[in-house]
Amino acid sequence: MTLINRLAAILDFILETFTVLLMVLLTLIVIVAVLARLAGESFSWYDEVAAIMLSWITYYGSALAALRRRHIGFDSVLLSIPVRFRMAAVLFGEAVVLTFFVLMAYTGFQVLAVLQGSYLVSLTWVPIQFTQSVIPIGAILFILCQLLSLPTYWQKTRAGISLEHAEIEEEVDAELAKNAPRT
Amino acid sequence: MLMFLIFIALLALICINVPIAIALAMAGVMGLLATEGVSSLVSIALDMYSGSTKFSLIAIPMFVLAGAIMNAGGITDKLINFVSAIIGFVRGGLAMVNIGVSLFFAEISGSAVADVAAMGSILIPQMKKRGYSAPFSAAVTSSSASLAIIIPPSIPMILYASSSNTSVEQLFVAGVVPGLLGAAGLMLVAYVFARRYNLPTEEAFNVKRLRETFIDALPAFTLPIIILGGIFGGYVTATEAAGLAVVAALVVSAWYRNLDLRHLRRAMLDGGIQTAVVMLLVASSVLMGGFLTRAQVPQDIANAILNITNEQWVILLILNFFFLVVGFFLHSAAAIILVVPIVIPLITAAGIDPVHFGLVVTLNLAIGQQTPPVASVLITSCAVARANIWDVSKVNIWFILVLLFVLLLCTYVPSVPLFLVEYFYR
Repeated sequence: MTLINRLAAILDFILETFTVLLMVLLTLIVIVAVLARLAGESFSWYDEVAAIMLSWITYYGSALAALRRRHIGFDSVLLSIPVRFRMAAVLFGEAVVLTFFVLMAYTGFQVLAVLQGSYLVSLTWVPIQFTQSVIPIGAILFILCQLLSLPTYWQKTRAGISLEHAEIEEEVDAELAKNAPRT
Repeated sequence: MLMFLIFIALLALICINVPIAIALAMAGVMGLLATEGVSSLVSIALDMYSGSTKFSLIAIPMFVLAGAIMNAGGITDKLINFVSAIIGFVRGGLAMVNIGVSLFFAEISGSAVADVAAMGSILIPQMKKRGYSAPFSAAVTSSSASLAIIIPPSIPMILYASSSNTSVEQLFVAGVVPGLLGAAGLMLVAYVFARRYNLPTEEAFNVKRLRETFIDALPAFTLPIIILGGIFGGYVTATEAAGLAVVAALVVSAWYRNLDLRHLRRAMLDGGIQTAVVMLLVASSVLMGGFLTRAQVPQDIANAILNITNEQWVILLILNFFFLVVGFFLHSAAAIILVVPIVIPLITAAGIDPVHFGLVVTLNLAIGQQTPPVASVLITSCAVARANIWDVSKVNIWFILVLLFVLLLCTYVPSVPLFLVEYFYR
C-alpha cells in the first residue's frame, strides 16, 4: 500500500465515522423534536440546531464524497476526446476545483474573524464561530480528499473508465451477491 | 455578453467533468468578480453556509435514510410476495409485480441507483429464469423506477419546492394520480408484450395466500400510511413525516429481524454521502443564484419569452422540450437546482400554477433518467440484467412513450395532477 493510499484510507475512516455520527445526531434531534411537537411540546433550538447539523453533514460528507469521487458530474464528453487533450482537461478541471475550495477556505476564515463574540440565537452559549467553522475546515478537507483521490481518478480516466459506471457495477455486484441464494 | 461567457464557461466545466456543484459555484464566482470586484468574494463563504442550512431540506437526509434502512432491512421481499399474490396471476405477472413494487419502493431513498440495484437484483434474475428476455426485464425495472420519482416521497420534488418556494406537501399530493395512471399504462404495455411473447403467469389467484402475504407485509405499510396519511391529513409537515418515516423503517426492519448494526451504519453512511452530494449542489446554487438575481437574468428570460408569446400552452411546450433535453445530460437534482430558479419568474408571470409546473418538471426528469448519455437508472438496470443498453432502449421506447403520454396529459389537463390538491388544500 502506497503512502497516498494509506493516508486516503485513514482520512476515509475518520470522515466516514464523523459523517455517521452527524447523521445519528441529526436523526435523533429530528425524531425527538417531531415526537415532542406531536405531544404538544416544542423546542426553541430545534430549527437552528438541525439546520447547522445539515450544514455539517453537507461539508464533511462532501469531503468524503470527494475522496470517493462521488460528486455528480458528466464524463461522457471527457472520455470521448483523445487521451492527450483528455488528461490536459483533467488537470485543468482539478485546478478549478482546488481554486474554488482555496477561495472558500480563505473567505471562510475571514468570516470567522468577523463573527468573534457572536452566539447562536437559541443556544446563547454556543459561539457562531464554532458552527461556521465548517466552511474553512470543510474546504481544506475537500482539497485534501481531492488530491488524495486524484491518482486513481487520473488512472481510470486515462484508461477511459467512467467512475459512475464503475460505481454502478460495484453496487450491482454487491446486491447480486447478497441476493444470489434466493435466485 | 458577460452572461453568455459565464454560461459557456459553466458548460465547458461540466463537459470536462468538474463536479456540477463546483462548476456552478465557479460560474457564480466569475460573475461576482466581473460585476462587483474582489471585495465581493466574501460572499463565497456566506452563501455556501446559508445555502447548506435550508431547514426545509432536512427532509432529504431523513427520507434517504428511511429508504436506505428499508433497502437493508429485507422489506423488499415481503412487498414482492404481497404484490405477486395480488397480480401475479396475470400473464407477464412478474413484470406487473416489478411495476407495483417500484411504485411503493423506488426513489424513497433519493438514490434510484441504490433502489434499482436492491430491487432489480431480486426480481430481474427471477424474470430471466422464468423466460423473460434480459432487455425486457431491464426496461420494465428501469421505467417503473423512474415513474416512482413522482410518487411521494420524492427527493426531486423536495428540491423543486425549495427552489421555487412551493409547498412540498401539495407537490406530493399532486404526484399521486399521475403516478397511478402511469403505472397502469406501464402495466398495459407489459401485458401487450406478455401476450405477444407468451410470457408466463405466476401462481393462480388465491385468497388465502393474499391474506397471508398481506399480514406478512402489513408492518411495511406503516411507512406509506405515515407519509401519505400524515401529510394528506395535515397532521405533520413533510420534514416531520420524514423523521417519522425513519422511526417506522427502523421499527419495521427490527420487526422482520433483518437489521443489524452493520447495516444500520451502512444506511447512515449512504444517507450522509447522498445528502452531502445533493446539498453541495443546493449551496452552490445560492452563490450562482445571487449573481443571476442581481443581474436580473430570470426576469430578462421571462420578458423575452413573454414578448414572443403569453399563451400558457406554448410556454409549457417550450419548457417541456427544454427540460427533456436537459434531462438527457443532467441528473435530476442538478437539473432542478440549475434550471428551476431561472424559469420560475416566467411561470409566475404566465400565471401557471407552480405546483402543476413542479409535476411537469419532475416527469420530464423521470423520462431523462431513461435516455443516455446520463441515464443512471437505465444503466443500473442494464448492469443488473447483464443486457446491452441499446437492446434495452429498443424495448424501453414503448415504456418511455407511456411516460410521455402521462407528461402530456399532466401538462395540458392540469386537473389530472391538481384535483386532489384542490380537494385537500384549496
